[in-house]
Amino acid sequence: MIMREYLNTLGIEWLKLKYYRTFWILLGVVAVCIPAFNYVIYDITDNSFPKINGQSLLGNPFSFPNVWSTVPYNAGILVFIPAILIITLFTNEYTFRTHRQNVIDGWSRSRFIHVKLTEVFILSLFLTGIVILTCLYFGFITRKPMQPKAGWEQLRFILFYFIEMLDYSLIAVILSLLIRRAGLTMGIFFLYMIIEQFVVALGRNKYKVTWVDYLPEEVSDRLIPQPFAKRILTPGNNELWEKHVPLYLSISVLYILLFIFFVSWRFRKADL
Amino acid sequence: MSSILSLNNISKTYGRIRALREVSFEVPSGSVFGILGPNGSGKTTLLSIVTDVLAPNQGNFTWFGNAPSGKQRRNVGTLLETPNFYHYLSGRHNLEIAAAIKQKPVGDIERVLKLVRLYERRDSKFQSYSLGMKQRLAIASCLLGDPPVLVFDEPTNGLDPSGIAEIRQLIIELSREGKTIILASHLLAEVEKVCTHVAILQQGILIKSGDVTTALNQEEWLEASSADPDKLRKVLEQLPGLKNILVSGNLFQVYFNTPLPDPAWLNRHCFEQGIVLSLLQTGRKSLELAFIELTNHVSN
Repeated sequence: MIMREYLNTLGIEWLKLKYYRTFWILLGVVAVCIPAFNYVIYDITDNSFPKINGQSLLGNPFSFPNVWSTVPYNAGILVFIPAILIITLFTNEYTFRTHRQNVIDGWSRSRFIHVKLTEVFILSLFLTGIVILTCLYFGFITRKPMQPKAGWEQLRFILFYFIEMLDYSLIAVILSLLIRRAGLTMGIFFLYMIIEQFVVALGRNKYKVTWVDYLPEEVSDRLIPQPFAKRILTPGNNELWEKHVPLYLSISVLYILLFIFFVSWRFRKADL
Repeated sequence: MSSILSLNNISKTYGRIRALREVSFEVPSGSVFGILGPNGSGKTTLLSIVTDVLAPNQGNFTWFGNAPSGKQRRNVGTLLETPNFYHYLSGRHNLEIAAAIKQKPVGDIERVLKLVRLYERRDSKFQSYSLGMKQRLAIASCLLGDPPVLVFDEPTNGLDPSGIAEIRQLIIELSREGKTIILASHLLAEVEKVCTHVAILQQGILIKSGDVTTALNQEEWLEASSADPDKLRKVLEQLPGLKNILVSGNLFQVYFNTPLPDPAWLNRHCFEQGIVLSLLQTGRKSLELAFIELTNHVSN
């Protein structure tokens, strides 16, 4: 009964999106950008660096099994594009005041916000699916010995990408909920991204503090370390990273839970 | 008459502004209940609270005798402030969403669109509608599923004179069908024509509530004139229950402490006294005048 009601609610959300051209365009942009951006990076790594014994100086980041971390890492750089989509979907409700009308017409506040959060979850899953397909595509075209079967060592990066997506998306949701206007929310979202990176760089390099590594965006970024020429650029970092993964993962998940709690609480209590 | 909506000590503040102060009243079943008050008196805040858009700082309310919930709101067609729809969707698609949330049949959309004369424009996007059309679509949405209770906040906003008359007629017809209608407006003439009960708000305080005549003390009067005003005056002054007489030329406006005398009896009585009446009519103090007297009295 509860499940059927929830599916009905998702069906209503689908009615809102089905004929919304901006949604489909933005979704298309995100879906195309992930493989396209990876192709650009692939092209650079393959053609713009000297080759030793037929292998790029940067290693084989797009071959199995490295591709399972390379594509999620690159896709993570584009995480602001789905954030724009999420901000648009959330702030639309405030602009059109339909968040009020949905409640007036009979939805509980909890139902409204939970279906919106489900939408964010589904979008993150969809993009994770695009990332998996992109991984498979590049893994197969690099003509290296085929190893499409991957163990936890490799596949965990897919889960990490999903968590990174959720983390950024929920920050976008919180800002949308607090600011309510699309343009301003997008501006503040980008500003926050820059400020956090600035604080991280300053804290890590100048003040030598480690707590900056656990800020909301940074900690989920750290789940997927940069995959290029690791032995040359970041020697010894892999062992250190492996040691910290459980902590990065726990804190990222904690942030996600806190954000979900805050969003639900705020929407249930605030004046609409 | 059972209560559809019952408010108990509702208060709401915005920072230091007290928008509503301990407001309590009951909306009887089958009534056309007007919530009156000047702009900023708290009408929309009150309706926002009973539709769960705003949370009260104090007090509670019930719908149909039960604690408020989404289930109850699905049986109340509500137009609050402005028509709220997805601008990029057509009128029909917007109503499909509303019907799905209200759990009403999609088949009812055609009926309500025809009722508000928007059927021909059902596939046009909401953003292409005029202000009046948007308002009519909002009213159509309220009527989905034929709910027993309707809440209209300034329903004639943006409508032209014929649109206003149509909505007024629609409210009268809906009331005849036995629906309870809660109507917030600052247009007293509009309310006067349709309301059976009122609640009057001023600066968030409930001044009066009840049935229109009692709550507003809309005194009834009797007007008469004759070719012989002096003789008429003497007769009128002898009438039982007389309160006072206002004179305007040859016209006498007579107020009573008791119910008005039967005009047919008065006509005959005057004739027996040798007076031929050239005018005899009854009337009631206008809602506007009663409202102004009441709000001025409270302000003072």
